[in-house]
Amino acid sequence: MTPVSSKQYTDDVSLLMVLMDTNPLFWSSTATPFSFSKFLSQVLSFLNSIILLNQLNQVVVIATGFNSCDYIYDSSLGHGNLRAETLLQKLEEFVIKDEELNKQESVDGIGSSLLSGSLSMALCYIQRVFRSGSIHPQPRILCLHGSQDGPGQYVAIMNSIFSAQRSMVPIDSCVIGSQHSAFLQQASYITGGVYLKPQQLDGLFQYLTTVFATDLHSRNFLQLPKPVGVDFRASCFCHKNTIDMGYICSVCLSIFCKHHKKCSTCGSAFGQPQTSVSTSNQKRKAPDN
Amino acid sequence: MPQVKIIAKNFMDMVSSLPAMKLDKLYENAFICEAILRSLPPLAKKYVLQLLYIDVPVSASSLQEWVLVDGASKHRVAVDRLIQLRVFTETVDRKKEATYRLNLMFQMNLRKHVVHGGVLPREPMAANITVRLPSLEELDNYAAQQWECFLLHLINSAEVEVTTKSISPSMMKVFQRGLLSQRDNEGSRLTESGFQFLLMDTNAQLWYIIREYISNSEDRGVDSADLISFLLELSFHVTGEAYNMNTLDEIQRITVKDLADLGLIKLQQGRKDSWFIPTKLATNLSISLSDASSRKMGYVVVETNFRLYAYSTSKLHCEILRLFARVEYQLPNLIVGSITKENLYKAFSNGITADQIISFLQQNAHPRVAEKVPSVPENVTDQIRLWESDLNRVEMTPAHFFDDFPSRDVFEAACDFAREYSSLLWEDSKKMQLIVKTEIYAHMKEFLSHQK
Repeated sequence: MTPVSSKQYTDDVSLLMVLMDTNPLFWSSTATPFSFSKFLSQVLSFLNSIILLNQLNQVVVIATGFNSCDYIYDSSLGHGNLRAETLLQKLEEFVIKDEELNKQESVDGIGSSLLSGSLSMALCYIQRVFRSGSIHPQPRILCLHGSQDGPGQYVAIMNSIFSAQRSMVPIDSCVIGSQHSAFLQQASYITGGVYLKPQQLDGLFQYLTTVFATDLHSRNFLQLPKPVGVDFRASCFCHKNTIDMGYICSVCLSIFCKHHKKCSTCGSAFGQPQTSVSTSNQKRKAPDN
Repeated sequence: MPQVKIIAKNFMDMVSSLPAMKLDKLYENAFICEAILRSLPPLAKKYVLQLLYIDVPVSASSLQEWVLVDGASKHRVAVDRLIQLRVFTETVDRKKEATYRLNLMFQMNLRKHVVHGGVLPREPMAANITVRLPSLEELDNYAAQQWECFLLHLINSAEVEVTTKSISPSMMKVFQRGLLSQRDNEGSRLTESGFQFLLMDTNAQLWYIIREYISNSEDRGVDSADLISFLLELSFHVTGEAYNMNTLDEIQRITVKDLADLGLIKLQQGRKDSWFIPTKLATNLSISLSDASSRKMGYVVVETNFRLYAYSTSKLHCEILRLFARVEYQLPNLIVGSITKENLYKAFSNGITADQIISFLQQNAHPRVAEKVPSVPENVTDQIRLWESDLNRVEMTPAHFFDDFPSRDVFEAACDFAREYSSLLWEDSKKMQLIVKTEIYAHMKEFLSHQK
């Protein structure tokens, strides 16, 4: 594992990667319980308080758009104090650029954000921090996510989650949409982060400071929300549908919703499917009897 | 004047020992609130943040519910600290249930910070007014050099003439108090705490000096609360930026001059204006002591044969090594010495402990050996500890000697009596003599008078 304790600061110095959902389709939908500007002001206050807690704390904000994602704020570049103006300006530029990209492609039905992209960006940034200096702050990722899961990103997101798990970076998720996110539930469950869907979004700041401002050191001593249930359903590789039951390639573990002659990932040839499960079981058991 | 004890105490301990009135006044300054918050233990910081927007008192029991069983002791430490610094005001109601709420002033300042973001205490001067500013590296060198110069000056009063810029003699006296013992005839000698002081790392030394400086401020007619708030404010300035002297008041200007002598600040003079540039020493003031990021490069290599090589050109380093080692020769960039029994005995008699010497050697280990575990050979550290324990072979216990007992019975009874108190140190039943600890001397006397 990459992080070595001696390379880290003592106690509570943290590097917080905030992935902020800026998907216009989500924020403009009528189902959204509160406005983007309200959300933004609460998040900015939260970022301020993180920087306030420790002078060595570092905050990086990545905007997760519909078509793209980009870094919009990095506290290590400034003088430590959060300059809301620079962040907002970068955010505006990003949203415009994201919109332009949209015109070239058609909008698909669900309208999910590019979570896989921003997760990978966050992990890349963390890897760079790991490899740069002799000592580095303890990193963690916070996803402020509202839009629905895009099953098409399943493989990419799972890969990011496992990579985060390997480098021992917890992924916290705060779901601000109306539905639970199966991806983020799994992400937090696997990496040991906190998953929370706030009941009252007006008090988002209090949720953020109470739960997500907790540094990794203090998490050993504080009561934090426990996972109630995790949706472990996977998406199939062929049609990107979320499925309960399916076919799995015995060689590379790819998931399919229908039977195929050949695995599309590793190319192994499959035999005929056993239509009745009970008969195959009996056949296998036969030699034992 | 009580003996100043050298502990690596930090700024905040000193702040918390201020009277309540002064402390409340300090919180009017937003920078102090920020610095205080940052100095708190992690759990305490969390509590402050959690309570930031809660306007009603919160009971101790609901606070307790936030923590897991493992965290109970940390929780207590955090809450105690918050009360001690008067960040929490505690009220106990009729049912003996304690409730806490945040200090109003403190709460207001932090809320402002959270909403508006941090600001700088004063704007740096525009680059076109100032002449060429020193680079960060130059500034670090300047600070290190100035500090070293000050230390040399401190321990070696004979060198006064060598240093070009010197601190006012009265200030020097203040700093030397406790570190040096003045004798009229033979000049000054380092005291026990003086030796310990030299072996501390720069940050700890700085704290000690600043602490002295502040505790002495009242004598100079400066309010210690004002001074503390200025020093903390200073730590929020940006290293290497120039700030105009005109933004300071009269007292602060004097303070800045003193601090410049210590290397916390570099003063520069332009054609019209003059300005000050905070160095790393100043901006690190509010950072906790144990922060490893401010540690300097090590320079000492210790070999298993007790030889010691110090890659340093510094005179101060040489002086420090001389405290516990025999310096054999000095090359332009290298000091060669050896750790000998005689020198260590001298060090021990000066009040330096083996652990201090070992931790000094470990902390200042040359990067090449610092990677190794252990950085100082085990046989050397063991031997240093053994030599120290050699000196502690004889334990002294104040005692009283009893003789000439009238009869064997009285002697036996006296022995049993002393044994009951487990204070019997020695007995000789043939000669009827015994020795007991001083503590029970009075009881013993009383007991014997009853026996007669």
